[in-house]
Amino acid sequence: MVMLPLGQERQSKLDWLMVAALAGLLVCGVVFIYSATMANEAAGFTPWYNQLFIRQIFWCVLGVVAGGLVCLPDYQRLARWSYVAYWVTVVLLVVVLVMGAKVYGARRWIDLGPFKLQPSEFAKIAFILALGNFLSRPVDELRRPLLFWKALGLLALPFGLILREPDLGSALIFLPVGLAMMFAAGVPVRYLRQLLTGAGLVVGLILVDVLFAPPNWQIKLEEYQRRRLLVYFGLDGAPRGASPAERAEARRKQRDYSYNVDQALISVGSGGLLGRGWCRGTQNALGYLPRAVAHNDFIFSVIAEEKGFMGSVTVVALYSVVLFTGIRIAGQARDRLGKLLAVGIVTMLFSHVFINIGMNIRLMPVTGVPLPLLSYGGSSVLCSLIAAGILQNVSLHRRAY
Amino acid sequence: MLIFDQLKKNDPQLRLLTWIVLGGMGLLLVGLWYVQVISYRQYAENQKAQSFRTVRIPAIRGKILDRHGVPLAENQPSYNISLYLEELREQFREEWRRTRPAGRVPRSVRLSLEGQARYRVVSNIVLQLGAALQQPVGVGFEQFLRHYTNQLALPLPVLSGITPAQLARFQEQPGNPPGLDLEVQPQRHYPLRTTAAHVVGYMVRDDSSAQDEDAFFNYRLPDYRGRVGIEGAFDHELRGRAGVKSVLVNNLGYRQSENIWTPAEPGDNVHLTLDVRIQQEAEHALHSALPNARGAAVVMDPNTGDLLALASAPAYDPNQFIPRISPEDWARLSDENLKPQRNRATQETYAPGSIFKVLIAMAALENGLDPQRLFTVEPDPARPNKGCIFVGRRKIEDTAPPGQYDFRRGFIRSSNAYFITNGLRAGVENIIRLGQKLRLGERCGLPTFQDSPGILPSLRRVRAGWFDGDTANLCIGQGELAVTPLQMAVMVAAIANGGKVLTPRLVERLEPQEPALAGTGRSFPPAQVREELGVSTRTLQLIRDAMLADVEDRDEGTGRLAAVPGLRICAKTGTAQITDEANKVVDHTTWFASYAPYDNPRYVVLVMVESGISGTYTCAPVARKIYEALLRLESEPRSRGPILAGKW
Repeated sequence: MVMLPLGQERQSKLDWLMVAALAGLLVCGVVFIYSATMANEAAGFTPWYNQLFIRQIFWCVLGVVAGGLVCLPDYQRLARWSYVAYWVTVVLLVVVLVMGAKVYGARRWIDLGPFKLQPSEFAKIAFILALGNFLSRPVDELRRPLLFWKALGLLALPFGLILREPDLGSALIFLPVGLAMMFAAGVPVRYLRQLLTGAGLVVGLILVDVLFAPPNWQIKLEEYQRRRLLVYFGLDGAPRGASPAERAEARRKQRDYSYNVDQALISVGSGGLLGRGWCRGTQNALGYLPRAVAHNDFIFSVIAEEKGFMGSVTVVALYSVVLFTGIRIAGQARDRLGKLLAVGIVTMLFSHVFINIGMNIRLMPVTGVPLPLLSYGGSSVLCSLIAAGILQNVSLHRRAY
Repeated sequence: MLIFDQLKKNDPQLRLLTWIVLGGMGLLLVGLWYVQVISYRQYAENQKAQSFRTVRIPAIRGKILDRHGVPLAENQPSYNISLYLEELREQFREEWRRTRPAGRVPRSVRLSLEGQARYRVVSNIVLQLGAALQQPVGVGFEQFLRHYTNQLALPLPVLSGITPAQLARFQEQPGNPPGLDLEVQPQRHYPLRTTAAHVVGYMVRDDSSAQDEDAFFNYRLPDYRGRVGIEGAFDHELRGRAGVKSVLVNNLGYRQSENIWTPAEPGDNVHLTLDVRIQQEAEHALHSALPNARGAAVVMDPNTGDLLALASAPAYDPNQFIPRISPEDWARLSDENLKPQRNRATQETYAPGSIFKVLIAMAALENGLDPQRLFTVEPDPARPNKGCIFVGRRKIEDTAPPGQYDFRRGFIRSSNAYFITNGLRAGVENIIRLGQKLRLGERCGLPTFQDSPGILPSLRRVRAGWFDGDTANLCIGQGELAVTPLQMAVMVAAIANGGKVLTPRLVERLEPQEPALAGTGRSFPPAQVREELGVSTRTLQLIRDAMLADVEDRDEGTGRLAAVPGLRICAKTGTAQITDEANKVVDHTTWFASYAPYDNPRYVVLVMVESGISGTYTCAPVARKIYEALLRLESEPRSRGPILAGKW
């Protein structure tokens, strides 16, 4: 590394505040994954190297190394490779559709033997790099509709592929990220407004169609997606004119499905102000909170039950530190590319956090979105740390020498 | 500050982004505050409701003891073997893995197959247990399924009430099948079986909550409620307070752990006034009266009103109701003729027959009858060696021969003609008033739900549409009149104790089971006078003398068969006719009303036997046996040894 002159030290170094917050989140993640999985009696029989919290530690270490590596080259050099990364992930997304491991009716993972790769996570990073690179041209050019459409195309390709898996939650993350980056890049607001109205209209129509239209008029949504939406809106989903028996059956199914949500809400609520204490959460230990999801998508409800409102506030505060330092980095970035990358990453992290925690307290419908750095999952941790590495990269190289 | 620096910066896009992130995080915090702090109680309750099951644990029931502390009802440990299903989960899983069909099966089929796999595991273990105990044991598939669906958090009862030998075998077995465990539960036991069964009463299965308890429980352990007798009357006190156990269950409903929230508080012991030895002698004597005797015997202390024996035959064994009475036993207990459930001493009413002449004598003597004056009984034209009397056009037969009768002879020969004539002379209203003072037609005040009021015409009734013939019927203890043996015992006690109509006392005191709390219970005072008879001492003395003569007059006394050497017994016999609709005599109720000793009364003994020959021949010998036993028991010291049940 180049020895920096003393006077320049302040301007170009790691954002230690963010590093501290990230470290805090990672530790929290490992600690509560331990709590969420060790309560499970079967966990006692797994060899130590296969236990989830150990694996999570491994992923964290790997992620920190990857994040560090990402910091080494200037982000502009990284951006040059962005289209390559983008197309590689698009290919991976196609591969996963063809030969991905099918879990719960969705093909989201590529089975690589010792671990499974989730390309949609990497697609997010690649998309941010590619869109940042694409939008970092002079503002005047961005007024051209063709460019706007190209940018939209950049978004639509991975979005559509991920939607096909199907993974609605991950796909939806692309929308706010793309929107925020275009906005920050200076794409005329009227385009964005049109885009927003259009998207809102489509989403609204889809919702109305899914929730209220007669069955043969409904667009083909996976049953579980429809059900999640119905649960969120508290409807039973029985068609109009259904017999009481049919309606009762629909209600029963709906109740079964809303189970996860209800249990998550009970976990969070019963935590109270101070919580039950680490490893003392009954919801998780007794299996009311489904064991398959407690350590990943619903890790927040484990934390909230065991550490109470104070724990939740701590988690939200740590995320806020990461997000606001991210925005500060965007503000201090040396060029538009740096700013766009930072905005994209901040938006991505924020969307994850908001959707996941919102889902735990019924603010959002259930979508399988992990909580960055806390949820168990190699791809997620790796990508979140790479994203943080890019932020640090922007911070490190904020001055050109 | 980190956030405000961003807001101040002149970069509208980043400012908006900052606002959005700030708003989003704020929204999350508000939502979390609402869920975790404001609605905490609601969610905590939901959480508790779904993971806790409450179990009602019945308290240890109080004992029923006689006046010397001999138990009539107690609890003995019953050893049960139960199966803890949560310890078998691994085996359930193993069995299912081994037997599951290949390929996809519909959910309903899979559930049913899983149920069968579980049953195979349980059934195997139960078979092994049966082999170890050398007794066939079985758990039905239906039973298992029902338990699995409804009571998963409780152990599955496999075998209850095992014998000591089996208990030893079970405990000495080195490798018992997994999940099996021994449980001890107190079970009601009546060591003296049929002795005082009617007084003790019986219990029926009832797990419901008492009034001041929690109404809701997920599960209830078996409990019983006293139906009649002392078990019924003092059910609340005997029962104590049920406790609550909470079982923490996981999402599949298997038990994780349990703890006791409120321990059960044992019920109080009930100390009766009965003396088990006297009770057994009275029952024994009653059974000797006739084959399959139906009747009652009362032994009472005329000074305190304490009931020393309250026997009714035939009796039942209250142990039959534990744990549940069989239909055959129930049919036997519901026999229309034998009515074994009825307490004949207090619950059934009968015509008193000639023992009612004691009351008529009081009414007549109080209203001017000169005991010395002679009365001539006319011979019955149809039966010249017996007397009779005409009331209106109706002829009433007399068992006494024609001839001259003063009060004493009229009483001991029980002359109908003498008492009808003098009863009519005294007037029906005086007879009714005296009956009311003796509290005839009213309940005696026993708590046992077995107390019948009987029948005594009211003053209004006798003032309108009442004829001399009706009064004549009353004078010989027939007609519109029905009494319980206990009421007659109270009447005799009033003669013996100088005119005090007592409330019979059956329960001496209630006492907590814990010795530390002894003496804090409720006690019932003796000698509760309901009414002073208001009859002169002279009248009472005349009646006492006549009653003494009834036993001691070797030639004419109808009660002479009751005579016991060394005890001066005063008595009156009675034989009431039971007529059918055509006024034909179909049966007799025979009576013997007595007290002893003459000069210092300590016992009232009242015997009633249905379908007897006569008071003289059926009941007097029963009374004699009871008096002999009383004398014997007075002389022998109270042995602390066990009292044998079922001597007959």
